[in-house]
Parts: sequence; structure tokens; C-alpha cells
Amino acid sequence: MSSDTITARRPGALLQRRRAEAAGWLFVSPAVLLFIVFVAAPFVFAIALAFLEWDLLTPPQFVGLANFEQLFTDPELPQVLWNTFVFAIASIVTHLVFGLLLALGVNNLISRSIGYFARVAIFFPFLISWAAVSLLWKYVLDPTFGYVGQYAAMFGIELPNFLADPAWALPAIIFIDLWHTLGFTFIIMLAGLQTVPSELVEAARTDGATGWQIFWNVTLPLMSPTLFFATIITFIGAFQIFDPIQIITKGGPQGSTTTIIMYLYEKGFQAFDMGYAAAVALLVFVIIMGVTLLQFIGRRKWVHES
Amino acid sequence: MTTIPLAPPVPGDDVLVALEKAGRRKSRRRTPGGVVVDVVLVVFGILMISPLVWLIVQSLTVPEFAFASPPSWLPIPFTLQNFADVLDYMPFFQQFGNSLLLAAISTAGALLFSILAAYAFARIDFRGSRLLLVIMLSALMVPAQLVIIPIFIMMRQVGLVDTLASLWLPALINVFQIFFLSQYFKTIPRELDEAARIDGAGHLWILFRMLVPLSAPAIAALAILGFEASWNGYFGPLIFLSSPENMTLPLGLVTLQNGFGAAPAVVVFAAITMVVLPLLVVFLAFQRQIVESVASTGLKG
Repeated sequence: MSSDTITARRPGALLQRRRAEAAGWLFVSPAVLLFIVFVAAPFVFAIALAFLEWDLLTPPQFVGLANFEQLFTDPELPQVLWNTFVFAIASIVTHLVFGLLLALGVNNLISRSIGYFARVAIFFPFLISWAAVSLLWKYVLDPTFGYVGQYAAMFGIELPNFLADPAWALPAIIFIDLWHTLGFTFIIMLAGLQTVPSELVEAARTDGATGWQIFWNVTLPLMSPTLFFATIITFIGAFQIFDPIQIITKGGPQGSTTTIIMYLYEKGFQAFDMGYAAAVALLVFVIIMGVTLLQFIGRRKWVHES
Repeated sequence: MTTIPLAPPVPGDDVLVALEKAGRRKSRRRTPGGVVVDVVLVVFGILMISPLVWLIVQSLTVPEFAFASPPSWLPIPFTLQNFADVLDYMPFFQQFGNSLLLAAISTAGALLFSILAAYAFARIDFRGSRLLLVIMLSALMVPAQLVIIPIFIMMRQVGLVDTLASLWLPALINVFQIFFLSQYFKTIPRELDEAARIDGAGHLWILFRMLVPLSAPAIAALAILGFEASWNGYFGPLIFLSSPENMTLPLGLVTLQNGFGAAPAVVVFAAITMVVLPLLVVFLAFQRQIVESVASTGLKG
């Protein structure tokens, strides 16, 4: 029985109720105030901004739907969205496949010291800032300075200048991102593997199932909540990729690595076209909201819940 | 930087149990397949850390001999001069201090306000609490880049651009933390509150003397992740900070290698090493807690 039903019968219950109300609002008030100032108000402001033309120097001008018209006719935007989705999908596939394989490997390891080494080596890059990671990889992949190109040259192979080649720059960023954030997916997958009851695996083995059959018919279905979670979280993170692109390629060469947030940054904080940047940001919001809602529906459909 | 709250797959402890278990499972026979897995993991691990080893080696090499081909994996001839040179090109320790201050204020402040709000949502039945929580949670879908534009304009109006306050003020509200903590508080039996209240305890006592200590693992996990996100943040500092003496380390590093008076590559590498090495020490010392916090909250910064 909850305390409310007891107190409700006592005299002075109303007073107590009021005090609880006051206490509740008192405790949330700092958070609510901060929420209004730094989330809710800026959100409303951003929507309003999308109807303005404003360079922050001259007074803002109301332009109606002009920014949205520009958004739908922007000749650069299809390429930008393509780059962003290619990056996001490649990111999901590579992270999930490598993360799962590594987690399976570490989970079945015999040597404890190898487990320790693998965990440190796979996870540590995730903790390094994108700034440091980006600068480092800019040199690693440099044809003359970097050891990748140097070793290739020793074997007489001439590698492309990955970060300066429009065909290779985006794949190179995908690769760098994999190196940086694989540790996260690996840990999530390792956690997911622990949800697979070992009795089920043992039972399948006793029934004569091969390792592959066990993986495909037992482990994978039982891991589906984790795989789903990892897919969504990787997508949302990848869709907003910005730091390595701004630092390494600045969106180039020839716009081959300009992703949506990089584009937003160029419009808003380099060209100071605040209204159009807000319209681009709203597009990002709509896409992320769509994926988030999709995951609520998809979860019921595809995920095996025990 | 947006995160979506989803139920974490399993508590973080299980990962650690699994990691500890690796190597204790004596029942499993050493099969040829098992050896292959060992070898593959070792090779993969070496490839993963090779850029970091190369980084540290170059930063310890005399500039004329660094980045040599074929690559050298030992710092020959050895020097520490590159590290001294870093200080000529950037106010490293000033920026280190800025990063530390920003991460400390953001993390501690956000946690304090999250703890207070989470207590109200988990323990006090006040009118409108459910609606309020739904509104706040729906804001998790709003990308940080959408609200940063108006916040930038706001900060310009009040003259806070190019100060650390422009970064830690918006960081004080963290809806994910509020949600995560209120869920955690709800797992603590309410009977404990009732017992404390009969003994004359008030809300603050119940929260800070009882719930907070009982939630220490969750709070520690959020603190680690919050600190990490703030320490490594780049987008915010890039937009708000412009003077080198006000910059945080990530922005300082990037500024070091471009623009006017860009530093030589070895000096950039020495600066990166000065950021990465302390981090490695912290990671090796607190590996359990760090891995656990990532596994238990499933957050990506």
C-alpha cells in the first residue's frame, strides 16, 4: 500500500499534498529553468530562425518559406545527403560485423593476457578525442610521411593519396571512424553476448549442432536486441559525423566528404547564413526523429524478446 | 552528441565478469581453431595500437629523422626537445587547465541538477510530473547542432562568446542523465524512504544520505561519461572559442597544425602525445570503471 492512501485519511492530508507538490517543483526547478533556457527556447528560436534571413550583422529579415525552398532546390544537398547516408550505412555495417566478431573472439579466448591486451587495444582509441585522432590519421595516411604508404612503397605498391582523392576520401574517413569507435560497439556486443544463456548453447551442442549452426540459430537471434540497439545508436552517431571531416578534409576534395553537419557548419558558421543553417538543422532533426520513431515500430517487429 | 535512451542490453558488471572469465575457463580445450582466434586477436590488437606507437615514437625522435622511410619503430636519435617546443607554439598547460575546468564544472553541475530532478521524478508525486518528463525526453531527439545556433546568438548577445561559460552553461542540463538516474532511483525500494521519514528525515537527507550513496555506481558511470564527452568535445569549442588562451585542448591541438605559424609535424605529434599518454595512464588505472560505465549506459558521445 502506498503512503498516499494512508495519509489521505489523516487530517491535514491536503496540506501534506500541497507540500509534496511544492517539494516536487522545487527539486525539478533548476533543471526546468536550464531546460527552458538552453533547450526549449533555442528549439523554438531555431524554428523561427528558419523563416529569417540573418547574417548576424544586419537586422534579420522575414523571408517566409524561402529557406525551405532553397533547401529543396539546393544543387549541393543531394550529394551531401548521399555522403551522409553512405557514411552512416558503411559505419553500421563495419562496426556491427567487426564488433560482433571481436566480441565472439574475446568471449571464447583461452589466454587471459591476450584478452587483456585485446580489450585495451580495441577500446582505448574510443577514449581519445576526435581532434587528436584526426590529426594523427592525417599523417598516418599521408603518402610520404605515413607508414602505410611507406610500407606499400617498399613492396613497390603505389597507394592512392587517400585523403586527397575524391574516390578515396570518404572510405578513408569511414576507416578512421571504425578505428576510433569500434571499441564502443565491441563492448556493447560483449555485453549482449552475456545475455545468451550458455545452457542453450550447450544444449544445441549436445544435439550435434555445428559452431556455425549455433551462431546462426541460437546466438544471433538472442542477440537481436543488442544488434538493434547498436544499429540505432551507430546510425544516430554516424549521421552527425563532423569532427574528423572538419579537421581532416574540410569536406573536400570536391565535396566528396561533405556530410550534413559539415554543410550546416559551413552555412551557419562560415557563411553566417543563420536562417538557411537552421533550415538544414531542422532537416537533420526530422531525419533523426524519423529513425527514432522507426525504431519503436521496428523493435516490436524484428527483435526477439525473451 | 544526441543520445537516445534505450534500455541497456545488460548491466555493465556482466561484461566485466565475461572479461575476467576469459582465461579462467579451463574446461575448454585448446583447439587449433582456438589458437587461430588467439593469433588473429593479437595481430588485430597490434594493428589497432600501431598508429599510437608510431605517434609516440615520432614525437621522441629528432625532427630531421622523424617520419623516415622505411618507418622506424624506435626513437633514434632520441630527443625530448619536441615536447619543450610545444610550449612555444601553444599555451598547452593553460589549455589543459581550461579543459579540466570545463569538464569539472560541466560534469559536477549537470550531475547535481540531474540528481535533484531525478529525485522529484522518481519519488515525489507532483502534478504535471509525467508530462514534464515526456517533454524533456522528447528533446533527446533534437540534435545538438540545431539548438547550438540560437545558443550561439544568445551568447553573443550577453557577451559570453570566447569564454568557457558559453560551453558549461548549456552543459548543465542533461536530460539523459535525469532519465537514467530517475530509472535507477526507482529500483531502490521506497520502503527505505518511508523508514527514514518516520525517523524524521526530510527529502534532502533521503536523497543525499541514502539514494545518492546507494546509486554510486550509476552516478560514477554518468560522471565518467560526462567528463569524457566534455574533455573531448570539439564542435562546441570550435564555435564558441577563438583566442588560444581560452581554448580547450582538442581545439588547441587542431589550431596548432593550421593557420598562421603552424607548428612542425613533430611538435604536433609531441602535443598529441602529451594528450594521449595521460589518458592512457588514466585508462589503465580505471579500466574497470570506464568499461563498465560505457557498457551500462550504452552512450555514445
